[in-house]
Amino acid sequence: MGALTDRSNPPTVTANRVERASSKKRRKPLALFIVPAVLVVVGVVLLFMLGGGTDSIPIIGDDGPDDTVPEFDFTTTKTTGIPTVSEFDKAALAASAEQTGTEITPTIDDLFTNAFLDPTNWREGDYEEVFAAFAPAALPAAQENVETLTLGTTAGDVFEKVRPNKSNLKYRVLFDPDGNPDTAVVRFTFNATGKRLDGTALAIASSGQLFLQDLDGWKITAFDIVRSDTEAEVTVSTGASGGSGATGTS
Amino acid sequence: MIAASAARRRAALLAALLVAWIAGSVLGAGEHETAGARPMFQIEPAHAEFVPVLNSEEPIFVLVIGSDARPDQDVNSQRADSIHILAVNPAKHKATIVGIPRDSYVSIPDHGTTKINAALAMGGPELVVATVESLTGLTMDYWAITGFEGFNSMVNQVDGLVVDVPFAMDDGSSRAYFEPGVQRLPGDEALAFARNRHDLPAGDFGRSENQGLLMISALAQLRKEFAKDPSRLLDWVGAFTRNAESTVALDELMNLAFTGTEVNHKTVVNIVAPGGSGMAGGLSVVTLDMAALQAISADLADDGLLKKGNIPPSPNAPLLEGE
Repeated sequence: MGALTDRSNPPTVTANRVERASSKKRRKPLALFIVPAVLVVVGVVLLFMLGGGTDSIPIIGDDGPDDTVPEFDFTTTKTTGIPTVSEFDKAALAASAEQTGTEITPTIDDLFTNAFLDPTNWREGDYEEVFAAFAPAALPAAQENVETLTLGTTAGDVFEKVRPNKSNLKYRVLFDPDGNPDTAVVRFTFNATGKRLDGTALAIASSGQLFLQDLDGWKITAFDIVRSDTEAEVTVSTGASGGSGATGTS
Repeated sequence: MIAASAARRRAALLAALLVAWIAGSVLGAGEHETAGARPMFQIEPAHAEFVPVLNSEEPIFVLVIGSDARPDQDVNSQRADSIHILAVNPAKHKATIVGIPRDSYVSIPDHGTTKINAALAMGGPELVVATVESLTGLTMDYWAITGFEGFNSMVNQVDGLVVDVPFAMDDGSSRAYFEPGVQRLPGDEALAFARNRHDLPAGDFGRSENQGLLMISALAQLRKEFAKDPSRLLDWVGAFTRNAESTVALDELMNLAFTGTEVNHKTVVNIVAPGGSGMAGGLSVVTLDMAALQAISADLADDGLLKKGNIPPSPNAPLLEGE
């Protein structure tokens, strides 16, 4: 930064107002505007890079492909219990719904990690781990919709890397008359950014609802999923969930 | 002066270059700059869904009973105010509703011959099922029952029923005061609509048809809400189970509800078992047209659907034609 000021010509301290005014007029060259502008820009850049934490380091165009599976966790924003008996303990119902959500979330985290984030899966176009989350009755439909439910079977030909962005879950849990969770509906919004091999980026957006039942573990029995990916024009987070992400454009 | 001026110019040039470099970095020079400049386009949205509907060729028969029970009364020990056979054809996504007038004078197994509504008080829903099975020859897969209070609550818990009221009603006895047209009815108004018979030309027959219309309205609303927000299914199932008794297990109910979302409400046939009025033992009763009822039952048995020739005229036809 020192190179920006000419230390060989320090500012002259003038004796009176007229001289100072005269000097100011003379010494208002470009550098005086540029130096503060540069400082401001540098400050903004540093703030942008450091203020966002380690998650916000831009990766597009710098560190090439890697095989690490980015850490990812959904954030649960709301959980609601629905009783099937007319008399129930509201607090107990809410606690049970919360507990059910806590039990299911790892399944959903894994589902989306396997479907979009694990390079081993999308490079090979092999999503067997994704299908393991579906109940037998829903499995054929899931397999038929693999391109919508996952990054796609040809993703390895398209993407260099994919990083998750902020993604949310909301639960609604139906309890049986004995107070056991019977059916859970998960409303999800999943976001990620994929850097393509050609250097462009895609804002990946999957949203919808999953019905789950505990069939030797929580399995998806019905689903309604919409993919609304858009071109992206900015950087992506490098790993942990909740990082700032790409802005999709349309 | 010359040296100082040259130094300032160098400084300015350096500063300008630095600004350009930083700005270039921020805006994404190189590959990223190319990405920003290329034409943007909306990638085609994709949709995937799966609903676990029943798809059996075998019809499902559900006996839906409305009990005359008032609040604080046991729904199973009062008379039945409404009795409907709901026949669902899962494979064809179609259904038929057959109302049986509550005053139908029929044989009740092991209880002699009297009005069918007495069967509930005599032996609970199971005896109503046995009576209807004896009357029609159809085997009911499930039954479901609710009372006035349960019906009112159930409707309110799904935020009311949107009903296309087919004709004006003005009945003080049931408090059914409606103008024709589409309207959202809260529980008490839906109950009034279901109970009104005094200003209907065919009395209990017309009321039974209106009760079937409420079921179709509920189906239409379920489908609409499910399409918009599938999790609404849980609200509907919860509202039903909290306010009705049924032999349908929760998982089966979920399957039936999913199946219901696939049944086109516009194709549901809503009829009332035909008959006429009469007297028996000093009671005003309904005498069913047994030949017509047997033909209807035989037609329903294989697929839950009715051929046109077996669909009787609407008991509300005079009012419908007048609208």
